[in-house]
Amino acid sequence: MKYNKKMFINHLRAALASGTTLCLIPVVFMGMSSSAHAASCCGGGSASSLVLPKFAEGMIDISMDYEHYTGIWDNDGDWNSEPNDLNQYRINLGYAHRLAPNWQASVTLPYVFNRNKYPTLERNTSGMGDGTISVWYEAFEKITCVWDVKKWEDLMPAVYLGGTLTVPTGISPYDDVADNFDITGRGAYRLDASMLIDKTIYPWNMSFGASYGKYLERPINQEYGTNVEPYRKQLGDRFNTNLSFGYTYFTDEMDSITGTLAYAILKEDEAIIDGTVDTTSGFRKETISATLAWASENRDWVYKLTFNHSPTSDDWGENFATTNVITVGVSHVLR
Amino acid sequence: MSCVKTLWQLLILTLLLVGLSACDIKDDLLPSDDDERGTVESGSIGNMPGQIAADFTLKNIFNNDFVLSDHLAGGSDPADVVVLYFTMWCPICTSHTDHIYTNIIPQFSSRGTVVYALIDYVSGSVSATYNIAQANGYLTPKFDILADVDQAIYNQFNGAMGITIVIDSDGTILMNEDFRSGETLVEILDQQLPL
Repeated sequence: MKYNKKMFINHLRAALASGTTLCLIPVVFMGMSSSAHAASCCGGGSASSLVLPKFAEGMIDISMDYEHYTGIWDNDGDWNSEPNDLNQYRINLGYAHRLAPNWQASVTLPYVFNRNKYPTLERNTSGMGDGTISVWYEAFEKITCVWDVKKWEDLMPAVYLGGTLTVPTGISPYDDVADNFDITGRGAYRLDASMLIDKTIYPWNMSFGASYGKYLERPINQEYGTNVEPYRKQLGDRFNTNLSFGYTYFTDEMDSITGTLAYAILKEDEAIIDGTVDTTSGFRKETISATLAWASENRDWVYKLTFNHSPTSDDWGENFATTNVITVGVSHVLR
Repeated sequence: MSCVKTLWQLLILTLLLVGLSACDIKDDLLPSDDDERGTVESGSIGNMPGQIAADFTLKNIFNNDFVLSDHLAGGSDPADVVVLYFTMWCPICTSHTDHIYTNIIPQFSSRGTVVYALIDYVSGSVSATYNIAQANGYLTPKFDILADVDQAIYNQFNGAMGITIVIDSDGTILMNEDFRSGETLVEILDQQLPL
């Protein structure tokens, strides 16, 4: 049986009438914070923010990342390859819950495994990464996914406005650690204001996301386990934006397979240490990613496979590592 | 009210997870500005500021010996200050390296002799250190790049990425901490090399 437009519309109407939905595009806010600063040398392991589908009551998300380091961009944007075998694995747990018809909240927490191999040095360490707590407001009342555009209202996108608190549950250089190989987090609280605009005109989808984050200043009295004269540090403000395009194919069984291509820019300003700007800090990174998501007929189960790539050539970033990240995950929507 | 209850449940769940490894992360969750540095016996051998650095020898990328005592008072090539920087060739390491070489050291070139050396503690051989130094464009600068093949000096100074060591001509350690913005390094060089 071929799943056609008429069947889709009927199904959508039935789903809306029963309070469920087919529109399950923004399952995970890709690129907003995922793997944004993951490195045993840079801190990392931040999990993704979860965004719950409209009308769903809750969602459990589990994913695994494999991140391989391919090189670095220096301060001038020149790229150099990484001669050693540096990897990070992450297991990300997340739960999102509907608070009210237009409000939802979520928590995410990663567990990070650093696997670094140098010619005469091999270090395998692990620990929790930085967790997040998010609250999202849905600035729309109805499902905005449409098949046809018949009137102006059909062009209305789904707009999400959110706030995220990153909690330094990871291991940072300012914990009682042996050295930089133990690092799984950045060691500072951060508040992000985020916006996600998503529009689906089946079978096509486009979304745009942006967030602005501000780290809270903190005191530091030890570095890599050695006590030092206390000082204060505030990491630089962080700006993250991404644009994605997707195409959904419906199988005869009404399962959906969605392919998405995304481009993201992450920028972090220079840090401030005891009131002085640290001109050696700050970075920029551009990435491209491809995601394949398969959702069951009732959209309660979504399986995802993502490949995120940092171009290994000049000027796609500055003062940051280049990596390839493969993510596999599953989300279960609770109605 | 149910929303508040749910938020509390989410918070409790998070706190439970955080609690699983609270011992490791409390320094970040509740950071302290207490000065917990202990006292060191001035003049003793060690790696803390105020202590004397034990002598060491490392090969540089051209397979020549770099002997710390050669650059101290009475050595064959004495300097006023020795600056050592631990690198693992990460982005911030090269950023610091460039900043030290192009912005900080030149400020003091007319005020005394500063020996500046990078210590590569991850590459494992002189040739590997040479290769990565070359890839980063560091073959021509006038500073030493040393291969800490078995991490002996890394362990001696309790090193890590970005840790910067400053040693005066008597062998006394003046600084052993993260490079941060470089301000501490400039202050120390200012004190050691007055106008």
